[in-house]
Amino acid sequence: MPEQLTLYSHKLSPYSHRIELALAEANVKYKNYQVDLFNKPKWFAAKINPLGKVPTITYGGPDVDPEDPSPLSFKLAESSVILQFVAELYPESGLLPKDPVEHAKVLFFMDTVDRHFDSPGNEWMGGRTESYEGYLKGVEMIQGLLSEGSEFAVGDCYTIADACIAPLLSRFKITYETDIGGFPVGQGHKLGEELKAPKFAKFMDYTQGMLERPSLRDSNDEAYLAEMWKKLITERRQ
Amino acid sequence: MAPEQITLYTAKICPYAQRTEIALAEVGATFKRYEIDLANKPEWYAPKVNPASKVPAIAYGGPDVAPEDASPDSIKLAESLILVEFIADLYPSSNILPADPVLRAKARFFIEIVSSKFTSNWMKFASGNPEVTHTTLLNGVDAIQDILPDGAKYAIGDQYSIADIAFTPFWARFMLVLQKGIGSYKDEERKNFLKAIEDPKFTKFNGYVQRLLERQSFKSTFHEDIVEAVFRRRFGVPK
Repeated sequence: MPEQLTLYSHKLSPYSHRIELALAEANVKYKNYQVDLFNKPKWFAAKINPLGKVPTITYGGPDVDPEDPSPLSFKLAESSVILQFVAELYPESGLLPKDPVEHAKVLFFMDTVDRHFDSPGNEWMGGRTESYEGYLKGVEMIQGLLSEGSEFAVGDCYTIADACIAPLLSRFKITYETDIGGFPVGQGHKLGEELKAPKFAKFMDYTQGMLERPSLRDSNDEAYLAEMWKKLITERRQ
Repeated sequence: MAPEQITLYTAKICPYAQRTEIALAEVGATFKRYEIDLANKPEWYAPKVNPASKVPAIAYGGPDVAPEDASPDSIKLAESLILVEFIADLYPSSNILPADPVLRAKARFFIEIVSSKFTSNWMKFASGNPEVTHTTLLNGVDAIQDILPDGAKYAIGDQYSIADIAFTPFWARFMLVLQKGIGSYKDEERKNFLKAIEDPKFTKFNGYVQRLLERQSFKSTFHEDIVEAVFRRRFGVPK
């Protein structure tokens, strides 16, 4: 009888979205609890994560209501650590290759996503950089790592490398389509146009493939994200 | 099944590289060690081994060649924490990464805390960055002590693991600069830290780091004289 698994998440967070994707791809039964990040319940920091962040999971312990967590369950935070944990709990899922070299490639892809893709991408989206150049360099690095055939990031099946980047791919797509962000007006659309160039075809094919997977399609709420971003972004870079 | 050839590109000064050396020593691997002069990198290093031009890096498999002549047939891997996991994977019976997923997760979470609260801060402190004071580092110590298990020898229990490997080289270098009085910080800061860390509330942490520094795999891969000499040149002495 598998142990209980509860994910504390929020629709705005690409990091909790990573875990939703991995769990969906591995076909795992779990409870998904949306934490109201704008009005955090006191028990969340007290009983789940002292830093009050999502994603956090609880594993094991008695099967309780997510709002009444048990001290007996194992609590785990940090999306990349949670992704590896899920992959190792469900080794038949293929989320992590058994071969040491392929395993290292998955970890390297994830590290590249965080360092060279998410980080500059976030800076640009938040209006903290002049241009999206850093993000485009990241796109090229990711593209250089994609396996042949560009269906998956590493090898020939869905791994936590894909789960790691897919939520970001979806959010960046919304950004270039809607132009919503802290960057100067029009820069979002401009980036979208640049990415149509043949030199980014492999990356765009991979992106399209990820977006079409049921795991992402079913957990994605583009309208909600666009609406929330419009509300949250109060200033734009000139 | 014996793994294939392993060539490690490393540098004695570098704490990231020392992580991989400790891991290789713990698992008892046979490997070729090649020292990269970080101040004067060979021009073949970036194109043939690591495009990011950093250490550590590993060339795995392929023909048995001289390190300076890395073969395109070997797999090139980089990033110290990834290399430590890779080494643990190649030698699963060494147990530096336990089989239990919960313990593995605890090890990786410990590493995240070390990374966010300590590894970048100690270097900023030594270079005299005014944003980082002795308090910043004490907060890092606190965060780490908070997740150390009670009554256990190491980060995730009595078994030495990748969590300990990740932290030791950084703690050792930090202690070296403080004890030898090397660095561009104000000397007050150094004294404040050394005094504060003696408080009984840090007993658990102090016991832990002492065990880390006593570990044979750390001692055999730490070249204190070289590290001290380089740091003196790089950081100078306190004001």
